[in-house]
Amino acid sequence: MRRNLNPFLTFLFATLIVLFAGGPVILSAVGSVVPDRIMMDASKGLFSEGLNFETYRYVFTGQLPDSYLAENANRAMISDAARQVPRSLLNSSVIALSSMVLNLLLGAPAAYVFARYVFPAKKLTFMFLILSPLVPAVALVTPIYMMIQALGLVGTQAGIILVHTAKALPFTVLILSVFFRKMPNEIFEAAALDHCSRFQAFWRIALPLALPSVGATGLFAFMLSYSEYMFSMVLSGDAATRPVSVVMAALARNTDVSWSLLNTGIFIAIVPTLVLVVFVWRFVVEGLLSGAVKG
Amino acid sequence: MWTIKRFPAYWLLPALLPVALMTIYPVAYALWVSLHSVTLLFPGEPFVWLDNYKRVVTSNYFRDALGNSLLFTALATPLVVIVGTLVALFLQRRFFGSQIVRSIVLLPWVLPGAISAVLWIWVFHPSFGVLNGLLRDLHLINGSIPWLTSPRLALISVVVAHVWTQIPFAVVLIMAALSGINSETLEAGAIDCRSPLKRFRHIVFPEIKAMIVVLVVYNALTAFTSYDLVYAMTGGGPGTATTLLSFQIWRESFSMYDFGTGSAVAFIVVAISAVLIAAITRALPSDLFASE
Repeated sequence: MRRNLNPFLTFLFATLIVLFAGGPVILSAVGSVVPDRIMMDASKGLFSEGLNFETYRYVFTGQLPDSYLAENANRAMISDAARQVPRSLLNSSVIALSSMVLNLLLGAPAAYVFARYVFPAKKLTFMFLILSPLVPAVALVTPIYMMIQALGLVGTQAGIILVHTAKALPFTVLILSVFFRKMPNEIFEAAALDHCSRFQAFWRIALPLALPSVGATGLFAFMLSYSEYMFSMVLSGDAATRPVSVVMAALARNTDVSWSLLNTGIFIAIVPTLVLVVFVWRFVVEGLLSGAVKG
Repeated sequence: MWTIKRFPAYWLLPALLPVALMTIYPVAYALWVSLHSVTLLFPGEPFVWLDNYKRVVTSNYFRDALGNSLLFTALATPLVVIVGTLVALFLQRRFFGSQIVRSIVLLPWVLPGAISAVLWIWVFHPSFGVLNGLLRDLHLINGSIPWLTSPRLALISVVVAHVWTQIPFAVVLIMAALSGINSETLEAGAIDCRSPLKRFRHIVFPEIKAMIVVLVVYNALTAFTSYDLVYAMTGGGPGTATTLLSFQIWRESFSMYDFGTGSAVAFIVVAISAVLIAAITRALPSDLFASE
């Protein structure tokens, strides 16, 4: 039933979206393979010396780029933080995936009863969930640090996972309950006639039907944890447990670091996450567009 | 909607307990701090009643910072939701390369905040920034536009960067909500309403309204309480042009080591966000918050 838009307009919109969303990232990809002195020199073409992968070699093997070994090169332009990027990606994946799984496991049942049932103290608990993220996280850093310390979890991934899970849960419940509420009532009435228990209706019917939406919500929880900086910084220990947001911030705040090294770090940090996110999103979109949820 | 007689603890407590653990004690602690004089310089933590709040409200930054924060929120929130909805509506179509565009839209999401700031500084940099270079190559300007150093442009620039970081989430949620619409509703709508604009207003919008309200609330909250991207891009300057109220929580606590005043700023932010959220849910009524 969808009529086709004018192909020219489609192309124009698509180009605008790609340029706005992807533009800065394309810049960083270019910046990672062009040495600094060419980048800053307006008279030279960007690719006049070809592509340069020395900074990538440095990040993975530790071998210094040749241009920095030259005499009177500025040693401060090399930062050890760049070498921590691959390891920190692994840490971030563990933390973000755990936080995502916990969010869906803990949040989906709550969202389901909020969306489909009336029960005592419903309004009170719902308001508590909605209002809990109101207090800015900066003000809570000290008490939360003290709590995690009392639990003996400072410097471990478990502490960060706990904080990230609690931070995303109110939104997970809110978003999922919007999806569960949109489902047609008839399905659940039919289920009740077949003597489905509440749990069976949730587990066998609601959850499978909402799977693409659950995927989208999971993506949200994953990304919230992946990009969170403050608690990750305060609660992580040495380089072995540091997540990617902390390492990248250290690299970005160091104004001496060479542009190409910074961009290399950015690019290495983006690619695996992007692959993962696009993979999940593909699945979500396929499910959505094929109409799995349509009543 | 069906009724459960007893409180469904098995269903709710797994979600409520972690949230309660991470809110009740920390918020109570922060509230206690905001009513005491807690600084690194002076030992002892005397109860000072509302002195900290008084100090914040009468401070020289309060007026500017509050104004900037409200303006920032008022610009960023509608932009994110409107652009996100438009992009989501567009990306629902299948066209050559639609799969790729759908993936590229998610790019801003996979970048940690510190990195987004660096990339946008690079775009807006007055001398070797890409935007000025592009405008110069197109012969639209001769010199360079001081994107981040002129007060008015700086605020607009940081709003653009902030919107950029928030678009993917809006697109993902709106696309998910759009696909939940019954296809028969859409077919009937296509017959009844000829103009696409009317069709959106009367058929599509009511169906995705609940999600839009969630997004508006979430984005208003994010815009009003986050400061790291803006701070990394401009440092709050030029002057106080991009100094946000939420940034003062950090500055008072961890730069001035006056934790009492920092917490007082935080609760002023809480009070204003609560008013904002109440106003939004009042202006955009949806059955989401109804108890039925």
